[in-house]
Amino acid sequence: MASAPIADLSYRDYDGPLAPPTYRWWVIAKTTFRNSIRRKGLWWLLLFSGMYYFVMLAILFFVDQFAANARDGEQMFNAFIGRITWKTEFLHGWSTAQMWFLLITLLIGAGAIANDNRANALLVYLSKPCDKRDYLMGKWVGLFLTLLLLMSIPIALFFAYAGLSYSEYGFFSQDRTVILRLLVMMPLGAAFYASLMIGVSSLFNQGRMAGAAMAAVYFLTAFFTKLMEGAWTVMQVDEGARRDLSPIKNLVANLYYASIDGLQIGMAKGVLGTDGSPPFGIQPRRGEGMQFVPAPDLATVLAIMAAISALALWVAWKRIRAVEVVK
Amino acid sequence: MPVAEIRSLTVRYGTLTALDALTVDIPEGCVGVLGPNGAGKTTLIKTLLGFLDADAGGGTALGLDIALQGREIRQRVGLMPEQDCHIPGMSAVQYVAYAGELAGMPSEQAMRRAHEVLEYCGLGEARYRNVETYSTGMKQRIKLAQALVHGPRLLLLDEPTNGLDPAGREEMLELIRSISHGKNVNVVVSSHLLPDVERICDHAVVLVRGTLRAEGPIRELKKIEGQPVDVELKEASGAFVNAALSGGAQLLSSKGFSYRFQAPGTPDEVLRSLFQAAQATGAQIRGFAVAERSLEDAFLEAIHG
Repeated sequence: MASAPIADLSYRDYDGPLAPPTYRWWVIAKTTFRNSIRRKGLWWLLLFSGMYYFVMLAILFFVDQFAANARDGEQMFNAFIGRITWKTEFLHGWSTAQMWFLLITLLIGAGAIANDNRANALLVYLSKPCDKRDYLMGKWVGLFLTLLLLMSIPIALFFAYAGLSYSEYGFFSQDRTVILRLLVMMPLGAAFYASLMIGVSSLFNQGRMAGAAMAAVYFLTAFFTKLMEGAWTVMQVDEGARRDLSPIKNLVANLYYASIDGLQIGMAKGVLGTDGSPPFGIQPRRGEGMQFVPAPDLATVLAIMAAISALALWVAWKRIRAVEVVK
Repeated sequence: MPVAEIRSLTVRYGTLTALDALTVDIPEGCVGVLGPNGAGKTTLIKTLLGFLDADAGGGTALGLDIALQGREIRQRVGLMPEQDCHIPGMSAVQYVAYAGELAGMPSEQAMRRAHEVLEYCGLGEARYRNVETYSTGMKQRIKLAQALVHGPRLLLLDEPTNGLDPAGREEMLELIRSISHGKNVNVVVSSHLLPDVERICDHAVVLVRGTLRAEGPIRELKKIEGQPVDVELKEASGAFVNAALSGGAQLLSSKGFSYRFQAPGTPDEVLRSLFQAAQATGAQIRGFAVAERSLEDAFLEAIHG
């Protein structure tokens, strides 16, 4: 019996098509996106990131069902729905999902450049008709598209359900621009996370180290935000009983946004055009009439986010080198 | 037509001059770039690919300007770097297909071709394994596969046998020899391992401290000045030696039954006169060859001037 393989294993020249050596970033972006969405843990994180919307949908569904079967159900339902400010529900959903967005970003983005640094992958990329602009842009776009997709899935589900079910209860008429606002908010949030993660990832040779660094920055600054939120609440309760706290309140209101989490929430407030309100419009008894931390100046928040993103991308740009040059 | 033409190329890293007004033509076929560590071999490869900017001079690779057409050059060239490198988190076939797509191949073609080159490089059985689990020898092979996937006209191999055991080295050299002969692929091998270059290359370029010390077909580099000849007899014969000397030849060395003579005239004329000497003295010639030195000797002579 012949021992030679059935297949022809000799070298054959490739004479097929080759695309012009431009727009290689799109190949990198597609592959980054494809590899990211294959991660199994990602879909669990997505589920958690949309928890607010899913709980909201469940409550709306049960209230709907309950009202349909109860006496005075219609009146009760109208009162319940009437209290809801739809765009603030999107703000709550966005705010509560921030930590999950961070975890998603870490899962798909921490190793984006760090793991390539470890594996000397840059040599592979740059030995093809790519330059570091393609590489950086491809990585960023791949991460951005993945984050955008994952951020938009719960919002789109909630929007579709609420839009179809409650259009006559003011879902669209409360603010006709809400869809446009959401379409601005999501890419801005995704772009900010993508830029930060790419910058941090480029500083390390291991994805887990980059992830730890990014998480440390996030949680330390988020802790500060929570402190400011606590201070704000205390000042709300004590206002009037003591001296005038306005200057301190203003300072606390601004410092509340001095974190990754805070910037994302501030941006969302500015874009959605709301300071926030209690979920379902139900005021807690103790804090009746309580104000939420007012929305910051959108232009300022966007400028800060843009500056931080630009800094992160500049760091990545400096770290990506075609060859190690020993001087 | 040369695959690369370098003209007065100077490349500096700060105050260190890695290539110093280098002018050389890299011909078609399999060419070895030789030199001690720090000679500028890797710098030459990196400059050809457009990774480094020249401080002076320039050149072309595959007819494309190295200063202006880096992308076009890299699309037609395959690089097998010296260091371990791969795209993390991918199986071999995904990695090689991705390398093909980066070079501009449509994704279906890249995937088909990835299977082909992995088979060719001897990784067919392991193609679905994550590259990070590969041994050193397999990593060398996959570097070659990713460099070959898009069908480059020129393959640049930087120390291709680094870290390989003797069997792996043999296989790698055989693979490179096979690619570089009759496959329409020109190969430039940068190495400081002279036996490797001697085995697979037809042509050599010797660099020392960024300057060209010698170049040409390996056969020519190994030639000894005056073209002496080695004669092997069945048994030692003083009469034969005397006859050869009286015929105008000069005995350069003798070892056992082998003698090295140098004589005026072409090797054919020398052969004829030595046969006449053997006939006259009854000596029996068992072997005859134009004497040549090892590539190592040629290299040492080149680097020491």
